[in-house]
Amino acid sequence: MTHAAPVVDVIEYERGRPPARPIDPVTARVIAGALDSIALEVGHKLTRMSYSSIIRESEDFGVALLDAQGRQICECALSTPLQLGPIPGYLRGILRLFEERGDRFEEGDVVIHNSPYHGASHGPDVGFCVPVFHRGDLVGFSFTTAHHLDIGSMTPGSCGIVDAVDAYAEGLQFKAIKCYERGRRNEAVWRLLRDNVRASDMVVGDMEAQVAACHIGAQRYLELLERHGRETVEAATEELMNYSERMLRREIERLPDGTYSAEGHIDGFADDPDPSRRDQLIKVTVTVEGDTLTVDLTGTAPQVPDRAINMPFVGTVDVAIYVTLRSILLDQATHEHVPQNSGLVRPIRILAERGSLANPTFPCATIARFCPGNIVADTLMAALAPICPDRVAAGTANMKVIAYSGVVDQRYWVYMDITEGAYGGRLGRDGVDAVDVLYANTRNNPIEDIEAHYPLRVTRYELRTDRSGAGRWRGGMGSIRDMQFQERAHMSLEGDGHRHPPRGAFGGYDGTPGDVVLIERDGTELHLPSKFQSRWAEAGDVIRTVSPCAAGYGDPLERDPQQVLDDVLDEFISLESARTLYGVVIDAASKTVDEVATRELRAAMSEQASVGSE
Amino acid sequence: MKLAGVDVGGTFTDVIVVDTESRRVRIHKVPSTPDDPSRGLIEGLTAAGPEAGEVDFLVHGTTIATNSLLQHDGARVGMITTRGFRDILHIARHQRPLHYSIQMEVPWQDRALIRRRDRKVVTERMGPRGEVITPLDEQEVATAARELREAGVESIVIGFINSYRNPEHEERARSIVEEVAPEAFVTTSASLFPQFREYERFTSAAINGFVGLRVRRYLRRLVERMREAGMHAELRLMRSNGGVATAEFAARYPATLLLSGPAAGVLAGAHVGHACGRHHLITLDMGGTSADLGIVTERGIVEATARDTFVAGYPVLIPMIDVHSVGAGGGSVAYVDPGGAFRVGPRSAGARPGPACYGLGGSEPTVTDANLVLGRLRADHFLGGEMKVEPALAQRAVGELGARLGLSTLEAAAGIVTLVDHHMANAIRSRTIQKGHDPRHFTLVAFGGAGPLHAAAVARLLGVPEVIVPRYPGITSAMGLLSGDLKYDLIQNEFMLDTEADLERLDADFRRLDAEARSQLRRDGVAEVDIRIRHAADCRYLGQGYELRVPMPEGHLDAGSIRRLREEFNRLHREEYGHAFPDNPIELVNIRVVATGRLPRMPELPPPAGSGTPAPIDRAGVHFARDGGLETHATAFYERMRLPVGTRLEGPAVLLQADSTVVVPPGAGAEVLPSGDLLIQV
Repeated sequence: MTHAAPVVDVIEYERGRPPARPIDPVTARVIAGALDSIALEVGHKLTRMSYSSIIRESEDFGVALLDAQGRQICECALSTPLQLGPIPGYLRGILRLFEERGDRFEEGDVVIHNSPYHGASHGPDVGFCVPVFHRGDLVGFSFTTAHHLDIGSMTPGSCGIVDAVDAYAEGLQFKAIKCYERGRRNEAVWRLLRDNVRASDMVVGDMEAQVAACHIGAQRYLELLERHGRETVEAATEELMNYSERMLRREIERLPDGTYSAEGHIDGFADDPDPSRRDQLIKVTVTVEGDTLTVDLTGTAPQVPDRAINMPFVGTVDVAIYVTLRSILLDQATHEHVPQNSGLVRPIRILAERGSLANPTFPCATIARFCPGNIVADTLMAALAPICPDRVAAGTANMKVIAYSGVVDQRYWVYMDITEGAYGGRLGRDGVDAVDVLYANTRNNPIEDIEAHYPLRVTRYELRTDRSGAGRWRGGMGSIRDMQFQERAHMSLEGDGHRHPPRGAFGGYDGTPGDVVLIERDGTELHLPSKFQSRWAEAGDVIRTVSPCAAGYGDPLERDPQQVLDDVLDEFISLESARTLYGVVIDAASKTVDEVATRELRAAMSEQASVGSE
Repeated sequence: MKLAGVDVGGTFTDVIVVDTESRRVRIHKVPSTPDDPSRGLIEGLTAAGPEAGEVDFLVHGTTIATNSLLQHDGARVGMITTRGFRDILHIARHQRPLHYSIQMEVPWQDRALIRRRDRKVVTERMGPRGEVITPLDEQEVATAARELREAGVESIVIGFINSYRNPEHEERARSIVEEVAPEAFVTTSASLFPQFREYERFTSAAINGFVGLRVRRYLRRLVERMREAGMHAELRLMRSNGGVATAEFAARYPATLLLSGPAAGVLAGAHVGHACGRHHLITLDMGGTSADLGIVTERGIVEATARDTFVAGYPVLIPMIDVHSVGAGGGSVAYVDPGGAFRVGPRSAGARPGPACYGLGGSEPTVTDANLVLGRLRADHFLGGEMKVEPALAQRAVGELGARLGLSTLEAAAGIVTLVDHHMANAIRSRTIQKGHDPRHFTLVAFGGAGPLHAAAVARLLGVPEVIVPRYPGITSAMGLLSGDLKYDLIQNEFMLDTEADLERLDADFRRLDAEARSQLRRDGVAEVDIRIRHAADCRYLGQGYELRVPMPEGHLDAGSIRRLREEFNRLHREEYGHAFPDNPIELVNIRVVATGRLPRMPELPPPAGSGTPAPIDRAGVHFARDGGLETHATAFYERMRLPVGTRLEGPAVLLQADSTVVVPPGAGAEVLPSGDLLIQV
């Protein structure tokens, strides 16, 4: 039997060129500062005007300005990375569709777009684009994206649509549609939209807020052009992108040339009888060559043709890679602030086989791509660990998102709850506990806000203790969150990390997988897989989400006994774990470390370990 | 009556003593004494003049609470919270403080205000409408309090879910804790500020508990020292909301002192502006490490929205003046980063080693060095001639930076000043244009040691037509202390739709809050005629997460009041965000009562003593950046204090005074106002 050679697609960009005319360093900084301030203003106003908690509380939105060539020149520091990274791809998708149809941007247009096969991150992240015209010329674009509560998928809400069989089952597809044409509102589009999404007041309100925010960005960009002159601003933005590119290349150049790889797994559909839908491999091979870095996903499992966990190559996979590399190589905690713009993607090449999970073909469904994307990010970090051990974290705990919904007076309510993961231990620091991880950075919703507005009650929200990977620097703890239904309601969940623990690094132990438990009113407990779509719950039922706990970094026998004691006193770990995992003997009565017993126990344990490894 | 304002900052303690009858003013500046700030306070007050013992009112701006939090040096705090929610303070909003980082620090986890071992849970639960779902288990509260006391906890925070709707359980727990651990400093989350959002409310309460004991001890020591020094003044504290409180109130709610100093600065700017007949003001207090900005409109000083205020990385859900701090000061360091970009600040050279020109070992150029190179600061007149600086060191530091950027020394110096000016202008834009205020209708009030050097240039960048430089720029904040009133903010959550407004309930809630506020002010000794009460409602379109504050009438509400509330909310929403959704229902989230009690305040000062025709003390070349180029102008230097009222000057001119230097750029004009303040037409 012969196989046709698989097609490998590549995402790559040209090196930056110096601006057409030189720009002095003072003006360049002045314009850079003004751009940051514009993007911040637009994001600030979008969160304040918007209606659904997914935007205003969770901050799952993106704001950026792009130049006439569609390159991102600035982004809003408030919004979540996963929403920001894809924006240039959205615009390229729009331009491609325009070209196919012979359409073009006119002054006063507003374009709505969400096609994951044309640059969108996934369907619910709807983009709005306003072209900026300066004295008749198209000079750039003001763009916002935001995660919407519902886009008319087969079941309520826009997460947990894991069983969607294709792109049509995911909901409405907007392929570069002008919802305003030359300043005139295209009522038919808005009416169609309102009639085909649930909780439409909120969704349409949020979309109108996005349009208003885009206009603010466009207006401010025009003011900037007026203040400094178009040529100066364009030279400054060119230099700004070159600057970001230079900063990243400089860091790549410091890495030893070579090829490094790692493998990770996603749960897939744990309860599916078909083994090809379970435990899929994510394979990452990194090649460092001078100041360029290539990430090759060849070897990653094939796409799942009739389930929604495929990851858009442009919009999700590329963003997971860009965000992770930037976070490791230009870590904001240890580096100068480097503006996030299109310069940062130039040093990076990305390859993936067409037809794989990381590069699916139309019409494969992609709406539930979030958790697999985090595994791409985590596996990339694992691949880089040997060459930058001081910059990475051990294995990361993945997240879960649940859509709750119900019908009251023939109207839908929809609420999306994002629970947290955790970071693995780091050189010199324990992992971060109960936090959004890797390529997203949303916020949870206040419990008091949820309870005041939905028939839901949070009955527990605490750390998941004594389960994180032991290490010289301990893995971060996940959380346990119990949500009690006050009325009969509906839920769908997408998550991952129930079958494969986060992996330990440099002698640290693996973390612990997560869980989901439905506790019925009568106390019956039912363990559910990490993905399910469309389940009913009755008043009094509790759904418990248990995050994975992240992995340890370094040998736990080298952990400072005083830190182990602190962990015991804070009940982060048990006395038992202190002894069996860390070799630390604590006198419970005096709350002190028994130093002699600890030395002996640790010596015995490391001897045993070295015998075991022979 | 004699009033004293004392602003204790990190470096200096500024003192102003005013006699309201004779209108005599004494000002004094002494080094702060960080180990015990009350010592410097008494020293400064004593040195200011012989009347220290006769002062009737002493208003104090303090950084004691702020430093306790910033340095993470506070009490061991314990918490009693609802069962199931032990880790709200640890999980926070589950958002990383940085988007693009693996090695980040997470303040609420790495520097916990209350460690987990000291967080106890008890059985109790309130519902979202204030209904009791599970009664409070009082026995568990007593046990938790006993355990905390035995563990050595000195401060106990009580924070229960949904207490903002019904504080009964928190209050009951408080009395149990006070019985079991009578010496503990107790804070309940709803008494501090009953707003929804449990993480932010609990954290605010934890901050209160954390800084509480230090503030209480400090105030006790201060009162004692005052007594020893023979001072009998009534002590008042400036709070973050721009109001003044009694020492007793401040000691109970020390978290309300976090922005004490910066609030006084904004108040001072407002006071000076109002005295000059201006009501749309931008206040700019620029010192050595940062510049603090405040905005004043016809509606008064702009307050921060509850969710935008962070101190040391922790959210603070307490009413505060919107003071925006920018890392732009005289000590801000200029450098070339690894990517070749030219940067200024936010890192500061501080007082040591300080700017290169101080000769204390600093080799990096700062904003002060740049001003010296440009000739706007004079080596022979630094801090009124009290400090020696070395221009050659400034030249060298700026020159080396310029060489790396391909700029001459002068170009580099002008670049540093331009960048720091733009930095401030951007921050002001975000507070004005971005909130629907047109800066062309505002006056910039500039003070602090460095403010008057940069103000005219910043104003030009924004299209602000005029700048006022107060008479004593270096101690303006201390003057601000004497322009505040006693002020209390009360709040009640409502979650009510405008279409279903329960007027009776609103009336009753307003009446209850009014009565509470009045009785507090009466306890403070305020006469009925000096009490002023204002009503407002925090509103949003149903579904939104951020509220805007809409003024409401005092007195009985009717359908018309709600209609006007709607109209006003729509208008404010359009002003703030540039857009309104008038068809959408409006939710009244909270009602608010702001009660003020008028205090004796700063009188108008007699005109300055200068007379005759002002003559420059010197003329020299000063360099100014203009349209991207650099111009050198022969510039007159004056001693500001010798200029009589009515003096008019044409730029370029530089005015020297003891604690500041004013730059009037080419093309601008300046005039000495009858109050002694300087008006620059830019």
